[in-house]
Amino acid sequence: MHYSPVITNADQAIKSDKLHLFRYVEDPNQKQIDTYMTHGGYTAWKKVLNDMSPEAVTGEVKESGLRGRGGAGFPTGVKWGFVPKDSTKPRYLICNADESEPGTCKDRVLMERDPHGMIEGMAIASFAIKSNLMFCYIRGEFGECIRATEAAMHEAYDKGMLGKNIMGTGYDLDMVIHTGGGAYICGEETALLNSLEGERGMSRVKPPFPAVEGLYACPTIVNNVETLAAVPFIVNNGAAWYKSMGTEKSAGTKLFSLTGHINRPGNFEVELGMPLKDMIYSPEFGNGIPDGKKLKAVIPGGASTPYLTPEQVETVLLDYESMEEHGSMLGSGAIIVLNEDTCIIWSIYKLIHFFRHESCGKCTPCREGTGWLEQIIKSILDGKGKPGDIERIEDLCENILGRTICPLGDAAVMPIQSAVKHFRGEWEFAIEHGRPMVKTDFAFT
Amino acid sequence: MANESTLALPAEQVETVTLTVNGRQITAPKGTNVLQAALNNGIKIPSFCWHPKLKSVGSCRMCYIEVEGVPKLLVSCCTPVAEGMVVHTESDLVRQGRKAVIEFTLINHPLDCPTCDKGGECDLQDLTFAHGFDDSRFAFQKYRFVEEGSSSSFDDHRIGPEIILNRNRCILCYKCVRANKEAFGEYDLGVYERGNIAEINAAPGEQVDNPYSGNLVEICPVGALTNTDWRYKIRVWLTQQDDSVSIFESSGINIRFWKERQKNHIYRVTARPNDAIDDGWLADVTRYGYQIATSPHRLKTPLIRKDGKQVEASWDEALELIAKRFRSVCDSQGAVCVGGIVAPWQDNGALMRFNALFRKHLKSNNVDFRTDYKNLPSTPTSDFSLLASQPFRIAQIDSSDVILTFGSDLLREHRNEYLRARKAMTFNDAQVIVAGPYATKHADISSAELVYAPGSEEAAIGALGMAAIELGVATDTGFSESFGNRSLADLCSVAGLESDDVRAAARTLATAERPSVIVGELITRSPARDGIAKALNNLDRLLGLSTKGQVAALAAYANSRGAERLGLLPQPADATRAQLTALFGGLSEHDGLTTDQMLQAMTRNEFNACFVLGADPVQTYPDRSFVEEALGKVEFLVVADTFESETTEVADVVLPLSTWAESTGDFVNLEGTVQTARETIRPMHQSKPASEIIDRIAALVTGSDADTTVDIDDAIRALLAVAPAASWAEKYRPVTLPNPEANESNVIALYVGDDPHHLSHLTQHASSLMNFVGEAYAEISSDLAARLSVGSGDTVRLEHGSAKIILAVRISEHLDSDVVLVPRNFASAAVTGLQSRSARVDRVKISRVEG
Repeated sequence: MHYSPVITNADQAIKSDKLHLFRYVEDPNQKQIDTYMTHGGYTAWKKVLNDMSPEAVTGEVKESGLRGRGGAGFPTGVKWGFVPKDSTKPRYLICNADESEPGTCKDRVLMERDPHGMIEGMAIASFAIKSNLMFCYIRGEFGECIRATEAAMHEAYDKGMLGKNIMGTGYDLDMVIHTGGGAYICGEETALLNSLEGERGMSRVKPPFPAVEGLYACPTIVNNVETLAAVPFIVNNGAAWYKSMGTEKSAGTKLFSLTGHINRPGNFEVELGMPLKDMIYSPEFGNGIPDGKKLKAVIPGGASTPYLTPEQVETVLLDYESMEEHGSMLGSGAIIVLNEDTCIIWSIYKLIHFFRHESCGKCTPCREGTGWLEQIIKSILDGKGKPGDIERIEDLCENILGRTICPLGDAAVMPIQSAVKHFRGEWEFAIEHGRPMVKTDFAFT
Repeated sequence: MANESTLALPAEQVETVTLTVNGRQITAPKGTNVLQAALNNGIKIPSFCWHPKLKSVGSCRMCYIEVEGVPKLLVSCCTPVAEGMVVHTESDLVRQGRKAVIEFTLINHPLDCPTCDKGGECDLQDLTFAHGFDDSRFAFQKYRFVEEGSSSSFDDHRIGPEIILNRNRCILCYKCVRANKEAFGEYDLGVYERGNIAEINAAPGEQVDNPYSGNLVEICPVGALTNTDWRYKIRVWLTQQDDSVSIFESSGINIRFWKERQKNHIYRVTARPNDAIDDGWLADVTRYGYQIATSPHRLKTPLIRKDGKQVEASWDEALELIAKRFRSVCDSQGAVCVGGIVAPWQDNGALMRFNALFRKHLKSNNVDFRTDYKNLPSTPTSDFSLLASQPFRIAQIDSSDVILTFGSDLLREHRNEYLRARKAMTFNDAQVIVAGPYATKHADISSAELVYAPGSEEAAIGALGMAAIELGVATDTGFSESFGNRSLADLCSVAGLESDDVRAAARTLATAERPSVIVGELITRSPARDGIAKALNNLDRLLGLSTKGQVAALAAYANSRGAERLGLLPQPADATRAQLTALFGGLSEHDGLTTDQMLQAMTRNEFNACFVLGADPVQTYPDRSFVEEALGKVEFLVVADTFESETTEVADVVLPLSTWAESTGDFVNLEGTVQTARETIRPMHQSKPASEIIDRIAALVTGSDADTTVDIDDAIRALLAVAPAASWAEKYRPVTLPNPEANESNVIALYVGDDPHHLSHLTQHASSLMNFVGEAYAEISSDLAARLSVGSGDTVRLEHGSAKIILAVRISEHLDSDVVLVPRNFASAAVTGLQSRSARVDRVKISRVEG
């Protein structure tokens, strides 16, 4: 086995007629095209090419209620519809496989174990936006993902699923795999475009949106791996089937990466709308917190989403609306569980250290603000905090939030704001006593 | 400023929108950003990273605005105007946002204003005073960049011949990197690392030495980029400014001198943006070229040759001698035996007086300003003259959809138009077609590149036309006949081109809606230029290029166009000649001699007195040994120049000439616009402006105190008002096809041009420019270098007949054929010795120097 030994709930999915993304991820042959096709692979692609118009595909996806699984949750079909109809320029589809949000490792499983699912989804999306060239931008550190995707791409070409005049329909589609150079920011779609063009990975001001002016200033759609992987199933089973899962505004299933202080860390596909509590405590998912410790906080959607308190965890559901009602976000679906022994300031320091390191340096508030915040938070953690530091942190967060080019600035400060709001006592204690309330046993730099 | 431009730019209907800014209704063209729209209406929104000629990136966040109905602050540089938009630039939220940006910007800035040379003209200083805090909340150590191996925390390191970088002061507005890439197409400067330790620096292993590098210093909003030319020499508030124009570019680049009046010294030159001409970008030659005025090596007094040695003399003595000798030659040998050669960067007043001195007072028609062109036919209304006098607008390049450069090494010839072509490509998706005898740098923006065989221009033009006819995008109304009914394949084979490449270029060119065709120096200086102009005339006739857009051979020097219009040619165009006759009360009957003919006459001892004003023919005129022989034989040679040159060395009288910075004068740029360069410093040493020198000689020659018979200003006005003859592209002209020679083994075509940092014999006295240039070089393709087994820095020998020079090899990034490029105006490498006066293409034997 070459891929990472991550726990999945494929056993549930294979018995379910709903869960679909993880259905075959425990089958070691699934990454081979023959096995993939035995499992129904590329039937959606054939259906699209032979029986559907690009508009019909877009319509079906729009109808299904599928939302972007990379973090923003924007309706996928609507995004596809933004490609200008009268544009004579080439169009491009890009699969954003630069999964690097701390805590998130779901796309990795799909690419390593079921790469054809992603490729088929990319092909269908390309057809829907009338693109003849699609790119897969894979995080450079994901060696096995790159190898598996490359192998799958060659198989798809050999089987005539990609290339010129596919299955005699006259439709041409080529695929290019590009590997990232190690920057988190390149997962942000406009920075990804710059990187793909050979430029420095820095975000662009929107508008113009990529759908209008993206790669090489041509209409471009950027979708997440998981989003695209769901597309063949929507085409095969219909929008109604997809919509029958999840909640009204959060249709379908979603992959969650469960990590942190948890008995059974892993990747799980569930229908949207499931209580977060079940994810953490149910034996088929997280199976609770080790050593009977109490829950302190949950970061529900990857490092850039606001913390949830144990009280909020009691009521919040795993869907876009409920998360928003509870002041947080579903994000990329990376649930990080923190137990009672966690120093909140330490956890925040780890996050801001990451964001400071990953800030591209383009716009002033993010570039300078993340560095400043890191220094203040580090000083509090070191017991050198001063009165006024909490207010200063809040003020700096205000000066960054909503004032940067891309969401990295927001991502950096939203967890801080929530951690200061929900755990203010801990911050005050650290400043007052010259040491954090909770001792962290291991080195934190 | 005089501006006689009569050609109006095409008035395009631009859609406008109306919005409200701070309660005031303003109108702006659709697509404008709010910052620009507000600025155009006198409302200034502060910013660091925005530049009017670059794409907005919204990185500094200083230009926040509040737009009603939008909850967040927006950056005005990236917010397009919209109908009915209500904008506030001074609301509480905006002020708070700006304060926060200033605070963020300053946390790692050293605040070393007292020792920073930008102090007094620093955007960060100004905006901090206007919008910032007077205290800092940042309680940590500032991040410090330190040069590797240095113990100092003062980051101060050279990244180019002129530029010094201080990374600690940098506020990462990225303007320098963006301008370098977007406007100049250069990649020698970049951003490294990321986040708050991101830094601007030279590309690894490279120097920031591109021909536009000085602009990076000028647009830096802080003291991160400074140059050795200016820094630490004077504080900016102690200087005064004067408006002028550059004499180093034919575009008439608008500049500003920064001087100190008492010291009579110029400290720097900066841009004076004029969108019609220069967009505010200066090539380094223009920025640093002013140093010729302040050079310590200037000629200080007149010199007279006595007993074979040049000795110092008074002005009176020198001028009286000149008047006496010219008079006596005229009296004894006749006026046909005297003449004058003038550099085409003298102002209109000097040119007009020079013309009057010879044509009126000495009765000689022997005047010419072409000191570096090969032996040219002297017909007044040649086809080439028509091509050269076609109307041309620099700014119209921007809005062209197709740009063809024909026979032009654009960067070396026209640095300003080179930027315009890049701009058209970058901002308007213009298609650039490059056709020339070798691959040039600007081919990087081209959609089609045609490298034709050296000396096969007419065939290449014929092929373009025939391809357009064959493709059905042009109707043959006589074109093929004018090319002797030769087939496309035939023409391609003469020109050494692939017919598919020609077809692609022809389709683009023929379907252009607003083409700009720039014909370059490689044509202008060629002895075959009239034949090539005929072929271009036919192509224009076929495709209607000049009707839809513009076609012209661009003037080469700062006042070439003025010299032409003022009749500084032995045989001016008929209308100009008529005007001259009227002004001077008749002209001498004899046909004037061209530069080449004057030099020939000298070698035959038939030419006895010559006045060279500001030019250095020994170094610039093709066939050096011929020029040396001629000037050695002429009985009486007067040379007025700013520096000693190889021509002043052989002169009988040398006059110290002021630079253009020391007198006020008008210049006619390549599009015919007359602009004034104001006197900024008093003439240095004993030097005098050309006008004064000629006035005094004229007075001595005529025996009167002042020449009152010709009002120079009226004469200039009258001559500039003469309309150029217009019979371009009205009918097909028969073209004779060339028969270009093939290269023999190791005998290859030589092209002599300018280094972008070194444009005349004068610029070798601008020390900053010499820091860029170094020594002369032979630029060859990597392929040829491999065959010769030479690498960069090795030496090669170039030979032609008995002349040979040895040069260091420079391996070109773009050349891909067997030609060698050698820059002119290097005293150490007399490349003109390898050129013949008549050969259409110079060919030299190239070989490796062993050891």
